[in-house]
Amino acid sequence: MRGKFALITKIVLLGFTTAILGLLTMSAFAQKQYVIGGFLLIAALAINVVYLTKISVPFKFFLPGILFFLAFVIAPIFFTVQMSGYKYQTGNYLDKPAALEQVIKLGAQPDAAGTTYDLTVGKDSSGKYAVLVSDIPNDKYFLSTQDQRIDLPKSSLTFDANGVAITAPNFTSISAITLANDDTYSKIRYKYENEYFISIVGQNAGGVFRQELTYSAKTGVLTNVFTGATYADNHKGNFAKVGSPQEILSPGWRAPVWFENYSRLITDHKIRTPLIRVFIWTVVFAGFTVLGTFGMGLLLAIALNRKIRGRRVYRSILILPYAMPSVMSILIWAGMFDSDFGAVNSILHTHIHWLQNPSLARGIVLLVNLWLGFPYFYLICSGSLQAIPSELLEAAAIDGANPRQVFRKITLPLLLQILSPLLIASFAFNFNNFNLIYLLTGGGPTQTLNGEIAGATDILISYTYKIAFGSASFQDFGLASAISVIIFLLVASLSLYGLRRSKVMETFA
Amino acid sequence: MNKWVRENLWRHAVAISISLFALFPLYLVILSSLKTSGSLQVGSFIPHEISLDNFRFLFKSPKTPYLLWFKNSILIASTVALSSVFIGAASAFAFSRLKFKGKRLGIRLLLLVQMFPAVLAISAVYIIMERVYTFAPSLGLGSQGGLILVYLGGSMGVNIWLLKGFVDSIPAELDEAAKIDGASPMQIYWLIFLPLATPVLAVVCLLSFIGTFNEFILARLFLVEMNGRTIAVGLQQFIGGQYATNWGPFAAGSILASIPIVIIFLSLQRFIVNGLTAGSVKG
Repeated sequence: MRGKFALITKIVLLGFTTAILGLLTMSAFAQKQYVIGGFLLIAALAINVVYLTKISVPFKFFLPGILFFLAFVIAPIFFTVQMSGYKYQTGNYLDKPAALEQVIKLGAQPDAAGTTYDLTVGKDSSGKYAVLVSDIPNDKYFLSTQDQRIDLPKSSLTFDANGVAITAPNFTSISAITLANDDTYSKIRYKYENEYFISIVGQNAGGVFRQELTYSAKTGVLTNVFTGATYADNHKGNFAKVGSPQEILSPGWRAPVWFENYSRLITDHKIRTPLIRVFIWTVVFAGFTVLGTFGMGLLLAIALNRKIRGRRVYRSILILPYAMPSVMSILIWAGMFDSDFGAVNSILHTHIHWLQNPSLARGIVLLVNLWLGFPYFYLICSGSLQAIPSELLEAAAIDGANPRQVFRKITLPLLLQILSPLLIASFAFNFNNFNLIYLLTGGGPTQTLNGEIAGATDILISYTYKIAFGSASFQDFGLASAISVIIFLLVASLSLYGLRRSKVMETFA
Repeated sequence: MNKWVRENLWRHAVAISISLFALFPLYLVILSSLKTSGSLQVGSFIPHEISLDNFRFLFKSPKTPYLLWFKNSILIASTVALSSVFIGAASAFAFSRLKFKGKRLGIRLLLLVQMFPAVLAISAVYIIMERVYTFAPSLGLGSQGGLILVYLGGSMGVNIWLLKGFVDSIPAELDEAAKIDGASPMQIYWLIFLPLATPVLAVVCLLSFIGTFNEFILARLFLVEMNGRTIAVGLQQFIGGQYATNWGPFAAGSILASIPIVIIFLSLQRFIVNGLTAGSVKG
């Protein structure tokens, strides 16, 4: 009975999942999202193979987890590492074909007079897009397609109130609503005369342009037909003028630059200087936080290691900062130190710009993190203190050690040994404590005068976030990704070292 | 008396002074939530007036659909917590109890990948979900569905790791006995392991709930619409740049939002401390 029920449930669930994934796959392919579509397809197949056959029992347990892990953890990391090898920044967002299309489009220049005409968009008798152009000042009318221009006698046309031709023989106009749904017509260059053509510049309006830049697919070189200047791929994501590489055409594209983003970190002093400063502060911040929270937690744990009156009350109060949602408490602290409306200034009857002064802001960051973090070490230390065998301490006391000596020579070294992996983990966590910095100070205060984006309290991760998303005018995904990879290597090696010290790794053996 | 003073006075002194430090901002935020004017400005430590205007504002003003935010937070966090534990438990069981090739490698990989700072993969997640949006808007960027998927993926590593630690502590004798009686791994999982592990799963579930409730950056990126926001995003945006007028309601809102989390946390204290020593650091 039970077996039958399980089987039916399994088949229903499988069918349901397959149907949803199948639908998503089809719509992904319809939108030309081949990579995502491919992943969904493989996922659907894998699910059916794994659960309908007996290929691998562990996979029956792992598959859902693996699929989520691949899609939302592995793929983004892979993508980030890949981006770090590319020039991928404001001005270099597109892929090469799209950038080339833009460059050529921007290479079209209006004629000297900046001539514009009223026109009606439609199709000619062969079904090709055509524009019926009205040159009202000269009283000339013509029908233009991509390939040819036919001048029309005025008598064959009808006009609207403004004198714009709206119908002509062998021409069917297209309604504005239809046009709004398909913009192919606006990308066509309609024939004018000689090297000039008409481009759609607005609703029912066209301008006369000529193409300044021409692209040769064979040589991959752009040529300015009027000045004769040539522009070649500089292999750094832009077309640059031959003979004067500083002159580049916009936009550029995402070009592989291999390790340039990494080498810029060292060679470009505009990047190196703030990076070193931020790195030092990150280490100081994480180091002091660990020392401070551990010290305060240990002090508390020792103080409350004896059954004194009110211990339970103390304990409940002391873990409150840890039990509060940290997003809320960080925002509360930020508000308290606000110079105009904050509680701190109003209680002290001062008007100190707490978060605008670099040293004060750094102090506050450390203070707030102390507040957030000490209960963690209090809980851990009180647990560990109880784990130290009391015989050890008694033996020392019998040998004549005073309490201070017992603490310094026995308790503390033992504690440090037990807790060193957690101290390292805490260091690694605070090394990347993005929420605190972002919500409390935003990395500031920042000296924006020289265009510097790194603030006094910025740590590596918040600085990197700023490089990638911070400014509306310039974003550099390539550089940010490179720093991300480096942070990853730093933190990963630190954490692995910590884990190796703990016994965790041994359970894998 | 002299002995008591020598041995216990400093303990109380330390505990009291640090307790005051712990309570300081919490007390101030409660004070300002009970004031009529909006700022966090508190003239003295003793309230002169007590009013519930800020709480009323929170529920009545169209600027703060607080109940909706709260509902969103609960909905998103509980969906993520339940599904991720459901999915994660299976993987943790396999890592803990099954023998297969590449197990060691799998665990190490899981650990290593977990160390990649999630904040930095955000641009990639953003681009991926932007693409998903083109064919499935309800699962792409800007949707709660998409956010839930991303959370699920992101929480997988931590939860499998945490769950594995708990699962290892459940004695294996029972399922070994079942194995000898001829039960398949699937049967052992569903009929023996899951019922045994339910309390543990519940704890991880609640931890995951707290973690998701606390998440800010992804939620901020995904939930643009006012009514779709979570509490954290809603309140952060609400006070952004306009401290003076909005602080009172913010204080009231943050207190209300914190109460359930604090209660969950305090009641789970014992388990959380065990989890802590297993090496997780709460954000």
